[in-house]
Amino acid sequence: MIMISIILNGKKIEVSPDTTVLEVARAEGLDIPTMCHLKGHDHFPSCMVCVVKENISRKLIPSCTTLVRTGMEIITNDEEVHEARKTGLELLLSDHVGDCEAPCQTNCPAYMDIPLMNRLLAEGKPQEALEIVKRDIALPAVLGRICPAPCERACHRRSVDSPVSICKLKQYAADHDLDQKEQFIPDMAESNGRKIAIIGTGPAGLSAAYFLLQKGYACELFDKNPVPGGALRYAIPNKKLPKDVLDKEIEVIARMGAVFKLKKQIGKDALEALKKKFDAVVIATGEDNAVFTGLDKRSNAFVADRNTHQTEDPEIFAIGSAVKPGRVAIRAVAHGKQVALSVDQYLNNKPVIGERRIFNSRFGRLLNGELMEYMLEADPVKRHEKEGIKGFSYVEMQKEAARCMHCDCRKQHNCKLRDYSDEYGALQKRFFPRERKSVRKIFKHEPIVYEPEKCIKCGICVRITSEHKEKLGLTFIGKGFDVEVAVPFDNETVNALEKTAILCAENCPTGALAKK
Amino acid sequence: MAELNIDQVIKEKGREKKAVIPILQVIQNEFNYLPEDILKQVCETTDITPDLIMGVASFYTQFRLEPAGEHIIKVCTGTACHVKGAELVYDAFGRSLELPDGKNTDEKGKYSLEKVNCLGCCTLAPVVQIDATTYGHVGIEDVDQVIGSFEHDLNNPSRKAGISGDSLDGQQGEIRIGLGSCCVASGSEEVKKSLEKAVVSNGLNVNMKKVGCVGMCHQVPLLEMIPSGKEPVLYAHVKPGDVNAIIKKHFKPKGFWDRLKSSLFEFAEDIQTDHNWDGVERFELNVREKQVSSFLGRQVPIATEHRGVLDPLDIEEYQQSGGFRAMKICLNELDSGEVVQRIIDSGIRGRGGGGFSTGEKWRIVRGQVSETKYIICNGDEGDPGAFMDRMILESYPYRVIEGMVIGAYATGATEGYFYIRAEYPLAVQRIREALKICRERGYLGKNILGTDFSFDINIFEGAGAFICGEETALIASIEGNRGFPKLRPPFPAEKGLWGNPTLVNNTETFAQIAYIIKNGVFEFTNHGTQLSKGTKVFALAGKVNRGGLIEVPMGITIREIVEDIGGGVAGDRELKAVQIGGPSGGCIPHWLMDTPVDFESLEEVGAMMGSGGLVVLDDTDCMVDIARYFLSFTQSESCGKCTFCRVGTKRMLDILNKICTGKGSPKDIEELENLSGWTKKGSLCGLGKTAPNPVLSTLRYFKDEYEAHIHGKCPTGKCRDLVKYHIEETCIGCTKCAQNCPVDAIAFTPYEVHSIDQEKCIKCDGCRQVCPEDCVTVS
Repeated sequence: MIMISIILNGKKIEVSPDTTVLEVARAEGLDIPTMCHLKGHDHFPSCMVCVVKENISRKLIPSCTTLVRTGMEIITNDEEVHEARKTGLELLLSDHVGDCEAPCQTNCPAYMDIPLMNRLLAEGKPQEALEIVKRDIALPAVLGRICPAPCERACHRRSVDSPVSICKLKQYAADHDLDQKEQFIPDMAESNGRKIAIIGTGPAGLSAAYFLLQKGYACELFDKNPVPGGALRYAIPNKKLPKDVLDKEIEVIARMGAVFKLKKQIGKDALEALKKKFDAVVIATGEDNAVFTGLDKRSNAFVADRNTHQTEDPEIFAIGSAVKPGRVAIRAVAHGKQVALSVDQYLNNKPVIGERRIFNSRFGRLLNGELMEYMLEADPVKRHEKEGIKGFSYVEMQKEAARCMHCDCRKQHNCKLRDYSDEYGALQKRFFPRERKSVRKIFKHEPIVYEPEKCIKCGICVRITSEHKEKLGLTFIGKGFDVEVAVPFDNETVNALEKTAILCAENCPTGALAKK
Repeated sequence: MAELNIDQVIKEKGREKKAVIPILQVIQNEFNYLPEDILKQVCETTDITPDLIMGVASFYTQFRLEPAGEHIIKVCTGTACHVKGAELVYDAFGRSLELPDGKNTDEKGKYSLEKVNCLGCCTLAPVVQIDATTYGHVGIEDVDQVIGSFEHDLNNPSRKAGISGDSLDGQQGEIRIGLGSCCVASGSEEVKKSLEKAVVSNGLNVNMKKVGCVGMCHQVPLLEMIPSGKEPVLYAHVKPGDVNAIIKKHFKPKGFWDRLKSSLFEFAEDIQTDHNWDGVERFELNVREKQVSSFLGRQVPIATEHRGVLDPLDIEEYQQSGGFRAMKICLNELDSGEVVQRIIDSGIRGRGGGGFSTGEKWRIVRGQVSETKYIICNGDEGDPGAFMDRMILESYPYRVIEGMVIGAYATGATEGYFYIRAEYPLAVQRIREALKICRERGYLGKNILGTDFSFDINIFEGAGAFICGEETALIASIEGNRGFPKLRPPFPAEKGLWGNPTLVNNTETFAQIAYIIKNGVFEFTNHGTQLSKGTKVFALAGKVNRGGLIEVPMGITIREIVEDIGGGVAGDRELKAVQIGGPSGGCIPHWLMDTPVDFESLEEVGAMMGSGGLVVLDDTDCMVDIARYFLSFTQSESCGKCTFCRVGTKRMLDILNKICTGKGSPKDIEELENLSGWTKKGSLCGLGKTAPNPVLSTLRYFKDEYEAHIHGKCPTGKCRDLVKYHIEETCIGCTKCAQNCPVDAIAFTPYEVHSIDQEKCIKCDGCRQVCPEDCVTVS
């Protein structure tokens, strides 16, 4: 085979003439994004995220399809290429109507994966649901009773009748766990030999300990009171939050290794001493923090970065009502989760950024017709109301969980559009039109769902069905901006994808075609 | 429902994938739409699959998937029609037909109303077509009359008469009648009938001849009298009633009785030759008169050689005027390499717009080793405002065929295709006839001219997709696919139709080949500039006194075209800009009128040769509206394949719509410019890469107009959302406006100053057009 030479990012290389620029670049270990490209199938250069620059012609070319030619000078990663990919992604996003994450989750301060919890509960798996809950919330049984439930305010089901009773469902999962002989303990990293002092044992401090312990840190929690719990214990009446529930959840954290130093009032001097003894200090004293002086405080609250919770003193972090008065337990619990990340980043000499949320496509309120589409996934039954802190029965729990409309995307963890949008810092709003397309969800196929408004017209499924000689298959209908991938003769997906349904869903680069 | 033997159709068109478009065309013609059960039947009995048939049927605009009305009213929205108010005419038809909301077919199912990209009759703008009848200069007040006239013709079908081209001994001379599409649209068929009647009733022995387009489309219908031994005289704007008088002015009736009969009419003739004819703008034109010679004088006819003289289908005449001589030279005296060399030496560059060296393209195809090679004539002229391919195909079919045969001989092609746009039925008809005659005469088929060279040409009718003018999309279309372009390289010259080397040249390019061979390279390179040789055909239209088809040497300035050939801006308005190159081109402002017309110079000023539309804009034209107009064209014609074109042009249009409705902000102008840049860089094919040009060139030269829109003002009052209609105090209370208002926004108040209810006003412009006192103002 005669080889030809090209220049790739300034480096001269010998390549076979029947290879594409993409193949050459990937063989050289370069990272080039692709969406419409599917190895082993016909090229259909369309998404244009794989563009690279040919430096002699100064042209941008789709690398997935372009064959190498003698003397080519390819640049895969300069600012222009980056900006072109970003703009391309932003154009695709402007015509991609779909939420990666459900609004309940994005509205939850702790960013809990509520839809997944709901689905597991609906399937009758409270223990698995609890494990999902405890990925983000350290005290779910407590919060199940006292949380103001911002998630429920965002719930799309609210526009149909009433929101899903998320908080009570969480309570069910948590109570179910507390009723077991042994409570759920998350996976614990091995001890890393570092110690963290946490001042205050309210929701913020307990949560911080819960997450720091998982990362292998030894945690000592200081409190002026004789019993841990802070405001949860001393500010909330027993009829709203039975103290045995609180005790049981604190017990779990203690079992994970938390050491409680009670009846210890920490003043300014003691804080200095703690700094010497510990690798970092987390202040979670709640609104009652008058004992500290010297740290920058405004309106009697600490000043800390709102994402990382780090104060002016890099070894000191401050969370909960100590920085943002208001006594919102869920926010305090969320801070606890976040500060664990920041402390960990700080002590490992990584950039301290706190919790990083990846790109999230959002389109806002549902339009009237769309509610019906979303209701296709939900039990139409009315919300189950429970008085006070009474929990659901098993039957009620399953029925209520089934009211969830599955607003999150089935591909949220394996969507190329989302991953690249995140990597390239694409802004969904840049070109998003004032009037958007109306969302459809097509379910008439047992294992898959088709959501046309998420489609980026890459044609992978069209090629797959054609290559596998499906009797009907999928095709492009119409042209230009209004082009759609659809079944010929308005037939059903179930007839179009007799052999290739799963294959199409697995290879769809977005959530347009997904396994149920 | 009509009966259609689908098996018979399949038998004729074939069972393979490539037959899909021809089969769909037959079904569409039969039913006026594509019934689903028939499509399913086609899938069952052929290799055509459901995904293919639906993909193709929904891609091309010629095909409908829903039933339409009995008759289709097409309002041309080409550039020339747009600047002359086609949108208002479209709305007026909608009101007249009382279309239900959101529907384009009336309640009785009699008429469907639609917009069509360009009918190629730009000098008659605004143009409307109902079924096969074309109406020119349709104003909003003519709408009912047009429908009425169509209905009248429906109820009174007239027999079709043909003009014989046979020559007879003892002729008194020749009468030529123009039968190009413009002429036909302006009523030349009626004139032809009167002519036949007059010749018979006067017993004249004259040669009556239909000729192709003369290019003076602003003067149609045209009639030329050539008495033997006398000076020829050209008549413009001829009406059927004028014919008898015109004839008698030049030809004496033969027999005594005829003369006697005729003398009774002398009286009438006197009146008419006194130039007191009723109607406007009809006059006797002599070709040597100053005005006309300036229209024709600066021109150099190469592709349009012998314009107005040749009968399009008369092969003898074509031979007598030097036709097929070039073909003979090539086949008998030159080898293929020598032919290619001459084309390279001529420096001719593709006339389709791209400007790639034609000779170079031929050389590449010739150099490919392949048993099968194809040659395609690209006649998919889709630019709104361009109609030179149509005119060339209609008027000079043999010249194009000769060019293709020479191209095939030079490159070793074995089979050819004419790809002709669906909207050009006359061109298809003439080419079909010409191919048949060529085969009979041995100019096509096996062993052409007795040599061992064999070659034949098929016709492929496009199905209505602008993108198919792009060569890879055109090829996809012949193969029976949606017109999705492919990435180049590989170029069609290497890997084209069904994977074989394929030469794709524009119609005009092929029409210039024979001239180069026949007259020698020097005769061709004599015209033009260093890098752009020869001539270019333009469709001159818009706000110009004399529009039409012109063929000019490369390097002529825009000013010379507009002022000398076009006779300046119409109606004493001021020249603002010239739009060259259609949706891929740009607007050249009046202060750059001395820009020479060649590939490089045009690109430098932000325009493009394109396929040759040249639309003159005056001070009443809004440049933002022009940009929006072109962009909405390319946006709707995008195939939808690549992100930057599919979504990029849509988002650019969103921004332009915002600006034109007064909702834009300075940030929008910035983003528009930015996104234009990325769409240009990131699109896969020429359509997307050039789509931003009209926006970029207007931003470059007329940014102040964009800024004015941001401040809520359209300086020319063209953007309907930004203007209001008012009636001035000078109103005499004639009530004409009130009677014409379609929405009763003007109260009927005789002898009093009228006023417009702004709430009701739909800005149809009707009141302004009917006001005899010019007291309706727009601001």
